[in-house]
Amino acid sequence: MSKTNRTSFRLPSPRGSFRVWQRNITIFRKYWKTIMFPNLFEPLLYLAALGLGLGAFIQEGGIDGRSYVQYIAPGLLASNAMFAASFESTFNTFVKLKIDRIYDAIITTPVNAEDVVAGEYLWAGTRAALYGTGFLAVLTILGIAFDEPLIVSFWALLIPPMLLVIGIMFSVMGTLFTSLIERIDLYAYYFTLVVTPLFLFSGIFFPVEDFPAPVPQVAWFTPLYHAVNVCRELATGPSPAVLVDVAWILIFTAALALLPIRFMRRRLIS
Amino acid sequence: MSLKKREIAPASSPEATLTAHGLRKSYGDFRAVKGVDFEVYRGECFGFLGPNGAGKTTTMKMIYGAAVPTAGELVVAGLDVARHERAVKRRIGVVPQENNLDDDLKVKENLLVYGRYFDLPRKLVLQRTNELLDFVQLTEKAESKVEQLSGGMKRRLLIARALINDPDIVVLDEPTTGLDPQARHLVWDRLRELTRENKTLILTTHYMEEAARLCDRLVIMEGGDIIARGSPRAMIEEHVSPQVLEFRAGHEVLEALEALLDGRADAVEHTGEAVLAYTRDADSLMAEVREAGIEADNTVYRQAGLEDVFLRLTGRSLIE
Ligand SMILES: Nc1ncnc2c1ncn2[C@@H]1O[C@H](COP(=O)(O)OP(=O)(O)OP(=O)(O)O)[C@@H](O)[C@H]1O
Ligand SMILES: [Mg+2]
Repeated sequence: MSKTNRTSFRLPSPRGSFRVWQRNITIFRKYWKTIMFPNLFEPLLYLAALGLGLGAFIQEGGIDGRSYVQYIAPGLLASNAMFAASFESTFNTFVKLKIDRIYDAIITTPVNAEDVVAGEYLWAGTRAALYGTGFLAVLTILGIAFDEPLIVSFWALLIPPMLLVIGIMFSVMGTLFTSLIERIDLYAYYFTLVVTPLFLFSGIFFPVEDFPAPVPQVAWFTPLYHAVNVCRELATGPSPAVLVDVAWILIFTAALALLPIRFMRRRLIS
Repeated sequence: MSLKKREIAPASSPEATLTAHGLRKSYGDFRAVKGVDFEVYRGECFGFLGPNGAGKTTTMKMIYGAAVPTAGELVVAGLDVARHERAVKRRIGVVPQENNLDDDLKVKENLLVYGRYFDLPRKLVLQRTNELLDFVQLTEKAESKVEQLSGGMKRRLLIARALINDPDIVVLDEPTTGLDPQARHLVWDRLRELTRENKTLILTTHYMEEAARLCDRLVIMEGGDIIARGSPRAMIEEHVSPQVLEFRAGHEVLEALEALLDGRADAVEHTGEAVLAYTRDADSLMAEVREAGIEADNTVYRQAGLEDVFLRLTGRSLIE
């Protein structure tokens, strides 16, 4: 046999991935009430500070015929999913990998290293969808309560499943970074250089299309931009153009997903 | 006692359940395991001894799939580990050297969740969980957090976890390190019970007494090689004389003793604080020491054991 094919690439098994996902949800179910609260609260802070505070200075007519609060609310759904999945695939995954050594224990069972990674993708996506659904409900209720509808289309029912996909996309990115670093402090780079710029320049707070070239062109190549587009379209009633954004997200995720699996396998199996 | 058991065990023709041929593991240029051969028979307890860094854990990891062999052949439960990763892992239980219990889960949940990784039916996992907690005497701690367990309790929980899939082969990497004497005896007891159920145990240990009590056969590793093998009794017969005199005294006395014994005893070992003389006739050797006028009041006579084999073969000094 000589060099075995164990280092070579393997596709994850759905069964094994599900088991890893199931382990995470077992733990989440114990604590969800306490851990979800800040995540619901944070977007409300943005809405209050930027939507109402900053929005008051934005000229009559708002953006694209919507008030500023109405403009930014759906985009915050997308960034909320990004943050949820990013924390999961960075700090949480790092602790499981290097500190608690949870994965070392799992891979001595029929669940393989590649299943672990795929299971974590799914879990991060699930977490993003759960948080996003909570936030979506809050937005809907607030919109009705203050007579300033924030979610106005039944297409919004598709937002939770889309947040699952968006969460998986950001989990793949975060896991890729995790699979490359040795020290937890290095996440400062990821959040400062990747997550925060995406948050600010993906069309949540202002339309990037109005910027001079190459800003809109660059934005088109970044993931959150498309996630924001999808959420905004689904919240207000989509145009066919949304399919391009969905396709972009699916292709980007699929193209990148195998790389962290490969790297993580190498870290878990010497 | 275990000595009797050893005489009975290899009676019927043994059937190998694990075979390694030319098994090698390199980390870059460093060869941690240098092409070893060994066979483990069904239902036996097979031990790996060796100083720190000898390559024991690396060998265990290749068996349970956490390390990929660089070369050689490794067949576990009739399956080539290179091609049947999952199937092999389904048949074995693993107690790793480093604790890796799931701290986010309670004691009982650790077993329940672990059982799910093997796709076992819920009911069966629940039943086995209760049995196993009882088996390692942790039933009272079932609802505790893992971090509230003592080190020895964690070790026992790891053993219970390794058994959740009712494995044919259990790989135990230093199962009793850090246990108090009671807990160690409990674990030995449990491990013997497992061999009675015809499970195969593969065990590494730094405790010679443990190896002598539990192992039907064992190997001693050093620097990535297997340097000796056999049953504990055969190894003692082969590598050391049956009687040992242990002299404890000041430095000068020990030097004089060493000079005197050299040539008279079958072998002499000088450790930091003692000189050991291996012989077939301790009485006459002792007489010679007295004749030479060396003051050796603090002398112990004992039978040679596995520890002596280990020290002879691997050298007195710590290898690291
Ligand atoms: N991932 C790794 N990368 C590089 N070298 C390694 C790696 N794992 C182990 N080694 C080296 O391989 C050698 C054998 O290590 P191993 O853990 O198998 O020893 P051991 O016999 O189990 O020792 P101990 O009794 O201390 O547990 C050591 O020199 C160790 O430094
Ligand atoms: Mg070891």
